[in-house]
Amino acid sequence: MKISRRELLVSVAAAPIVLRAQRRPARPKLAAICTTYFKYSHAQHIVDRFLEGYGWNGTWHHPPMDLVSIYIDQIREDDVSKSRLQQFPSMKLYPTIAEALTLGSSKLAVDGVILVGEHGRYPRNEKGQTKYPRYEFFKQIVKVFEDSGRSVPVFNDKHLSWNWEWAKDMYDTSRRMGFPLMAGSSLPVTWRTPSLEMPLGSRVREAMCICYGGVDSYDFHGLETLQCMVERRRGGETGVKWVQAYRGESFWKAHQDGLWSKDLFEASLCRSHTLKPARAGFNHIMPTADEMRTLVKDPVAYRYEHQDGLMCTMILLHGLIEDFNFASRLDGQQGIFSTQMYLPMPPGRTTLANFFSPLVNNFEQMYLTGKETYPAERTLLTTGLTAAGVESLFKQQTRYETPHLAIAYQAPKQSTFWRT
Amino acid sequence: MKRIAIVATVYRYLSHAQHIGDRFLVGYPRDGAWHRPDMKVVSLYVDQKPDGDQSGARAKEFDFQVYPTIAETLRCGGSKLAVDAVLVIGEHGDYKRNDKGQVLYPRYEFVKQCVEVFEKDGVAVPLYNDKHLSYSFEHAKWMVEASRRLKFPMLAGSSLPVTWRLPDIELPMNSEIESALMVGYGGPDVMDFHGFEAMQCMLERRKGGESGVAAVQMIEGEAVWKAVEDGRISKDLLTAALSRSDTPQGQAVVDGRTQDLVAKGELPKLVKTPAAYFIEYRDGLKATLLMLNGAVKDFTFAARVKGAGVQSTQFFLSPEPNVTYSACLVRKIEELFETGKAPYPVERTLLVSGVLESCLTSRFEGQKRLETPHLSVQYRAPQQPQHARS
Repeated sequence: MKISRRELLVSVAAAPIVLRAQRRPARPKLAAICTTYFKYSHAQHIVDRFLEGYGWNGTWHHPPMDLVSIYIDQIREDDVSKSRLQQFPSMKLYPTIAEALTLGSSKLAVDGVILVGEHGRYPRNEKGQTKYPRYEFFKQIVKVFEDSGRSVPVFNDKHLSWNWEWAKDMYDTSRRMGFPLMAGSSLPVTWRTPSLEMPLGSRVREAMCICYGGVDSYDFHGLETLQCMVERRRGGETGVKWVQAYRGESFWKAHQDGLWSKDLFEASLCRSHTLKPARAGFNHIMPTADEMRTLVKDPVAYRYEHQDGLMCTMILLHGLIEDFNFASRLDGQQGIFSTQMYLPMPPGRTTLANFFSPLVNNFEQMYLTGKETYPAERTLLTTGLTAAGVESLFKQQTRYETPHLAIAYQAPKQSTFWRT
Repeated sequence: MKRIAIVATVYRYLSHAQHIGDRFLVGYPRDGAWHRPDMKVVSLYVDQKPDGDQSGARAKEFDFQVYPTIAETLRCGGSKLAVDAVLVIGEHGDYKRNDKGQVLYPRYEFVKQCVEVFEKDGVAVPLYNDKHLSYSFEHAKWMVEASRRLKFPMLAGSSLPVTWRLPDIELPMNSEIESALMVGYGGPDVMDFHGFEAMQCMLERRKGGESGVAAVQMIEGEAVWKAVEDGRISKDLLTAALSRSDTPQGQAVVDGRTQDLVAKGELPKLVKTPAAYFIEYRDGLKATLLMLNGAVKDFTFAARVKGAGVQSTQFFLSPEPNVTYSACLVRKIEELFETGKAPYPVERTLLVSGVLESCLTSRFEGQKRLETPHLSVQYRAPQQPQHARS
C-alpha cells in the first residue's frame, strides 16, 4: 500500500518528528514574512539588502539567493514595498504567509524564510510589551513545514517573542523539527570601536552595557550586546538565576550605593561617541552625578545573576547617550575590557543603517550552509531576559526568579562581528 | 606638570581650538577611561573674539591668562619663554580667501612669532600645528625648517589619520601599492585637506617610503565622469571605497534603500560639481582624491595592493558634538608634549600642504597638469600604526 506523505505525517503527528532535511540548492529561494515595510523599518533594511545588495568586504555584494516572495501584514500609508515590487518583479507579494511560502502552490516552495516582526501598529499589553506577531507568524510558517513534510532555515529578527512561553515554543519547535534558526539583534555583529573580541575562556567577573532607548525595545539590544560577549567566558553560558529591574529613584539609589561597578559605568560612558554635554559650551565632558540626573529622566537597569555567579547589568540612560557600550572586568587582566558596538544610525548620522549588513550576511550563510553562525540559544536567553526585566518592572521592581532561564550553551569559537 | 600655551584664531563652541583645547582642560576618553592630561594650560592667545567667544570664560574657570600677543602668551607675561609646549590652532575665524580659494589662516604668522620667541629666549619647545601648515608651501617649508633648525619637535595635521577605521585595517609596511583612491566630501581647501591626509597616512607605508610628488592635476565637472569612463579613475576602487560609505545620498535618503551608486550610474545625477585631484608620486604611484559632494558625506579609501587585492576602509568621523576623533588627535598631541617626539612625521603634513596648494593652483590655471619639483618631500612612515584601535 502506498502511503502519501500527508498520511504519514498525520500518523506520526503525536510523536516528535524530524522532518526531512533540506537538500541545499545552489541558489536558494527565500520568502520574507514582514509586519510592515516603510522607510527605515527593519523589513526595509533587511529585504532591500537582498534586492539591491549591499557593501560588504569592500565590494558590492549581491546575496547569491533570490527573494521570491513577500507577505506584509500591514501596508501603511508610507509603505515603500509597492515600488520594490514594481522594480523587482521576481519578488511577488502574497496575501497569506502560507502562500508566500508555497508560492501559491500546495507545498513549501522556498529554501529559507526571513521573519521580520518589528515595526507596525500592534497593541501593547499592560506591561508595556508590544505584541508583535512573531510567534503567530512563526506558527504559520511551521504549519507549512509540517504540511509539506520538510523544513527550511528561518531567521527571526530581534527577540523571538514578547511572550516567554511562545519564544520557548519557537526554539523547541526548531530543535524538534531540525531546522536551523537564527535570531536576534544586529548589536552582536556590528562594528566595534575598538574592534575587540572577548577572548574565549575569559574569566568574566562583572559586565555591563550602557545604552539608550526604552523598555521592551532597546533593552533587548543592550542584553544582546552583553550576552554576545559574556557567553565566551570560561565554562560557557549557564543561564540566568534571577533578574531585578531598577527604575527612576531606585536606579539612582542603586547607582549611588555602588550596586554595580562605578568603574564599569564610567568605562562604558568613555566608549560612547554621543555623550550629551551637561554644560553649555562644552562639546565633550563627563557629567557629574547631579548633571546626569537632569539629563536622564527615566533611567532603567536590569541587574541579573547568571547560574555560575556572573553579575551583569544592562542600563538604559536615555537622554545621556545614543549608543551601545560594553565594559567588563576580567580576572587575571589589568584594567577594564570595554568597547562600543557601533551602529551607523540614520537619519541623524548616516543615511544607511549599515549594521544590518553583517546581520544579513550572517543569516545568508545559514541559507547556504544550513548552519547557524551563532546559537539561537543566545537569543532565547536574551528574549527571556527582556521579558523578565519587564516582569520585574511590572512587579514593582522586585527580584524575579528565572529558573526557566537555565539555558546552557557554548559560544562559537569564531568571531561573527563585523571587522572586514 | 607641563605648562601649555594655546595660540588660536578663535575659541568658540565647536571651533577646533575649543574641542582640542578643552580636552587639556577637562580631559577626554582614552582607552576606555576618562583621561586627564598631566598638563596645565597656562596661557591663551586668540586672534579674533567673535560672538560666542569663550576665551575669557575658560581663562576664568580654569585659572589661566589670555594675553594680547603671542609673545606674551608664550612668556606668560614675563621676559622668557614660560611654557613647555605650544598648541597652534589656526582653524575657524573670519579670514579672507585668495583667488585660488584658499582661506588665508595665519598659521605661518603664528608659528613664526613662536619661533621668534624660541630664538630670542634660546629655548624651543614642542609645537603642534592644527591642520595644514599653511596655504603656502613656501611658508609651510619654512615652518618645518625652523623646527629642524631650532630642534623642537613638531606635529601637524588632521584627525583623520588617527581616528577609528571601519574596518580597523592598516596597510603592512612596504606594501606594493599599485593605485589608490580616496573619496570625500566638503569644500576645497577645507575638507580636501582631510582627504589628502587620510590617503597619505596609508600611502606613506608603501615600499621605498615616501618619495614626494612629481605632478598634480585638479579637474572639475564633466571631465571627472569622463575620467571614470576612461579608467583614469578606477571603477573598481570607486566601488570599493563607496561600499564603505554609510552616507550615500539619493535613493537612500528618499526611501532608505542600499544602492550600488557606481554600477547604477547614479553618481552624475547626484554630484553637480565633482572634483578629482590627481597625484603622481615621484616613484610612479598614482593616487586620486575624489570629492563627491551630493553623493556621500564621509571619507572612504581604497587601494590596490600587490598580493592583497583591493584594501578599503572608512575613516570614521564620529558625530557632533563629541567629535571623538579629536580625542584621538589630542592623544597624539599629548604624546608629542610628553615625550618630545612626534609620533608621526610632520613631513606628511608638509607634503599634503604642498599637494593641496598645487592642486588648487592647477584648478585656478585651467585644470592643467603641474609639475611639482618642489614637492620632493621624502620621509619614512612610523612602523607602528597610529590610529585609534584601543
